[in-house]
Amino acid sequence: MKFAELRNQLKTPFPAFDVHVHPLDNFGMYRVDSPEEDARLLIESAKRSGVEKMVLFSLHTTVPREPTMDQCREANDYALQVQKIAPDVFYPFCYVNPMYPDESVKEIDRCVGEGRMCGIKLWVARRATDAGLDPIMARAVALDVPVLQHAWEKTTGNLEGESFPWDVADLAKRHPQSRIIMAHLNGCGLRGLAAVADCPNLVVDTSGGDPESGMVEAAVEMLGASRVVFGSDAPIRHFAVQLGKTLGTDLADDVKRDILWNNTVRQLPKWVGVERIGE
Amino acid sequence: MIIDLNSFIGPWPSHPVAGDAEQVWASLRAVGVSRIFASHLSAVWCRNPHIYNRELFEAVDGVDDVWPVPVLDPTVADWKRELEKVSGHDRVQMVRLLPNYGGYDLAGVGDFLLAIQEANLAVIVQTCLEDPRRHHPMAVVPSVASSAVVDMANDFPDLRVMIAGAKAAELRNLADRILTLPNVYADTAQVDGLDVVKVLVDAGLGTRLVLGSHAPLFIPHAALARVVTDIEDDVAQVILKDNALRLLNEI
Repeated sequence: MKFAELRNQLKTPFPAFDVHVHPLDNFGMYRVDSPEEDARLLIESAKRSGVEKMVLFSLHTTVPREPTMDQCREANDYALQVQKIAPDVFYPFCYVNPMYPDESVKEIDRCVGEGRMCGIKLWVARRATDAGLDPIMARAVALDVPVLQHAWEKTTGNLEGESFPWDVADLAKRHPQSRIIMAHLNGCGLRGLAAVADCPNLVVDTSGGDPESGMVEAAVEMLGASRVVFGSDAPIRHFAVQLGKTLGTDLADDVKRDILWNNTVRQLPKWVGVERIGE
Repeated sequence: MIIDLNSFIGPWPSHPVAGDAEQVWASLRAVGVSRIFASHLSAVWCRNPHIYNRELFEAVDGVDDVWPVPVLDPTVADWKRELEKVSGHDRVQMVRLLPNYGGYDLAGVGDFLLAIQEANLAVIVQTCLEDPRRHHPMAVVPSVASSAVVDMANDFPDLRVMIAGAKAAELRNLADRILTLPNVYADTAQVDGLDVVKVLVDAGLGTRLVLGSHAPLFIPHAALARVVTDIEDDVAQVILKDNALRLLNEI
């Protein structure tokens, strides 16, 4: 049996820009010995699924929930090493910890800029309502880069510092000039979409969780097509499975194209130099 | 031929699902599935799931590419009569067990499992229907450990068993045990991670994986992409067809 036709049918007809990727050094079922091997395995897998570019952030090889700033710096150095291997593929974000707002701002200044990192990543050290995020957000606005904030509403209980979608809405309203990418559409769910609907400076990424039917359509309906961006959460998740959340809908082709590429490009600073397509 | 051994029809109580039978089947056919095995989602939450087997049979009646997979529950008093009925249906080749929703332990229902084995039916044991982090907070249902299903298969070596909803890490950890038991298969519906099917094939499980779409809860496009993206055609064929035929005792 030949599956070439099926593969072609399933593969994205548009290039995909994945806004949510971690190095294999952090997660996944492969052990890697170097940034080179990490980059190679990610690129090979992404290409098979049709992902051409990736926003990459390391959460440190030990993935601590409350990283020290030394660990943040090590994580960021790793992401920059991966970027150097394939600068046209990897667009790293700077990982910082709002427990240390002043040092985080220094780390952002060290890492963010033309040819280096083009966004900021926040995970689960502090909820988005915490004042420690404010200097970080102010620096993001000054540097014209987006902030990607992890969020979930877990029936099993969020971690102490893990943001709910409504926490991220609070952040977006405190910093209306900022551009916020709220991670994990499926984790935020239908209640999360309602919580952020009135935050025009916030987009949601489709990364993580199972490929539940109806979620991307709901996000487009509740937020508008320009506020949904493709993310996978690879290597925890599979690029093509996560792409299927968008490709497997009945949304119009131009909406799918925007989710998979243009909406992410709009979030990044212009100096990144990636063009929108089909407009 | 592509065989999907794990799909459903019907509604889901905690969020909207496009579960109309014709719509589900059209979505599967659109990605190349030519043989569909389906259960009724309403049976999951019904205190007597057998009631929905009738509705399932009516839905698939006259639909050539869909095979019904009725739900059986040993905690319902009439399970023997229900087993007799469903095994008399000419299209039933498998039954689905939902131990976590029925509230029973696989280790404590030996008579029930033996009766299924004697009826020459295969069993799907559903370990998990949705991410535990996404359950409705007032309806939390713990997952069944895949290891418990493997234990069951070990105790009933003539019973053909499919683990539905297992996670990739569980299957990797159980690979050595699964490979010693020729009666055990697992579906791909909820395995995830970079190159996940290739990774499981590399772990030796290529002859034990079968396609499960988990439609309409999950998107069929994603289910097929998971399998065909990273592996060669001959391996894909084993997963999409040959293993299913073996589980169904057709080869």
